Formats: sequence, C-alpha cells, structure tokens
Amino acid sequence: MNLNPDRKLTTRLFNPFIHTADVQALWIGLAAILIAGGIGALSDSHFDGVLDFHTGSRSMPLWILFSEGIVNWLCLSAVLVIAGKIISKTAFRMIDVFGTQALARWPSIFLALIVLPMASKLKGLNVSQHSQLEPSTEGMALTIFFGLVMIPFVCWMVLLMYRAFSLCCNVRGAKAIWTFIAGLLLAEILSKIIINGLFHLI
Amino acid sequence: MKNLPTACPSCSGKLAVKRLRCEKCETEVEGLYALPILVNLPQDDQEFILEFIKADGSLKDMASFLKVSYPTVRNKLDEVIAKLKQNETNQKGKK
Repeated sequence: MNLNPDRKLTTRLFNPFIHTADVQALWIGLAAILIAGGIGALSDSHFDGVLDFHTGSRSMPLWILFSEGIVNWLCLSAVLVIAGKIISKTAFRMIDVFGTQALARWPSIFLALIVLPMASKLKGLNVSQHSQLEPSTEGMALTIFFGLVMIPFVCWMVLLMYRAFSLCCNVRGAKAIWTFIAGLLLAEILSKIIINGLFHLI
Repeated sequence: MKNLPTACPSCSGKLAVKRLRCEKCETEVEGLYALPILVNLPQDDQEFILEFIKADGSLKDMASFLKVSYPTVRNKLDEVIAKLKQNETNQKGKK
C-alpha cells in the first residue's frame, strides 16, 4: 500500500508537504528564511511583509532582515492556525502548520538572488543631476523587468503556502481558498505593523 | 487468491454472502450473510486500516513507515473514517 508513491520533481516542487511536514519542514524552512534574508543583505533588499519584497532601499542591520523573515512566517502561520480551527472539521497539529509555512517560503531565496546582480545598478540610477531622487527611464525599465521576472516565484510561493494550509488543516475547495486569501491579507497587515515597529528600533 | 467483489457487476448493488465452504473438510454452509463493513472499503483503505492497527494506532509511526508526512496520514485516516460512517449509514438505511 502506498499513500503517495509519486516522488517526482513536480511533487517535490509544488507540494513537498505530502512527504515533509512538522519539525523537518520547520528546520528547512527557517534555514531558507534566514538564507533569503542574508542574500537580501548583500543587495539592501528586504521582505517587509508576508508577500512584500523591496530592493534598493536604505541599508538595514542584519538582525532586521532576519527578523522580517521570521515575523512574516509567524504572522501567516498564526493566522492560518486560527483560520484552520474555524473552518476545519478535523484536528490538526500547530507544528505542521508552522513547519510547512516555513518551508513554503523557500522560493524567497530566488527572489533575493534575482535582484542581487542588478541591485547596485538600480540604486545608482535613482539619483538625478539636481541631487533629487527621480526615477530614470532605465531604472524604471529595470524595475518593471525584474518585477515581471519575480512574479512567477511569488505565485509559486503563494501556491506552496496554500497547499501547506490545505494539507495540514485538511480543507479544500472554495471555502479553503477564500479563507486562505483572507488570512493572507490579514497576515500581510499584521506583519507590516510589526515590521514598522521594528524599524523604529533602529 | 482473487479479490472479493463487493458490488454487483449487473446493477452495482451491495453483494451478500450466500455460501461458505470449509477448506479443511469441505463442509458447505448456505444462508444469506451481510459482508463485514470493512470489506466494503477499497483494498487500499483496508490495507491502511490493517497497517494502522499494526502500528498500534500511531499516526507518527504510520507516517514513518509509509514515508509520507503526518498530515498526509491524518487526512487519509479522516477519509477512511468518513467512508466507514457512510457505509454504516447506508447499512442502517437498508435495515
């Protein structure tokens, strides 16, 4: 008997939670979050919200960059646990939700890597000859180009987050999707509030 | 040994046992006996239940044995429970 003998690459990429959850997913996910934060430090990029990512901003202390990733993960996980308790008809473990949500953030490494080669160029193009920050055409074109390149990775990450929620809380269908979207928005607001609070500590 | 059919190939109705035979002394018993509720589950689900009992009811051990995650096993168990409850309801409805 095999619950899921399929260990193809597509399963590993788009639904790794069939095979990996709880503490194992948690450690891998936390490592990925910290790695993404570390790579972001090299290009002054940071994840200032559950789905937010900005580059070319002012330099931040490393602890802020690491804390942002942790805050984003905790906010979404906590919200989805509460959402799961409300809509799920079966019992589930919090460690599975927190662990899989951490693992779901691993594509953020690619987001940080994508902007790494061009971050300094994006910054340099922002300053005009009148010493006033104005967006140049080349800078805007680069921003739009990299924005488009990042979209698939963001979609991939959101898909992983939803699949983690669906599997761990055993919910599916329209109810699960709408609950997830509402949870995502709520977590985004929550993470923004907390991260803005962190900025005031600098 | 062949797999035991549980549904009628003609009308998909539930099958019942009419005759039983002793393999040792070849005695035959005739009557009309309902199939055990577990037998109405697919082979896959029956194997899952057996492995679950052999694992002492530990979902964690099951997950380790099947090389899948705990939530995957948990969801499978919920699915089997739902099917059993449905079968029970159907059987009570017929009585």
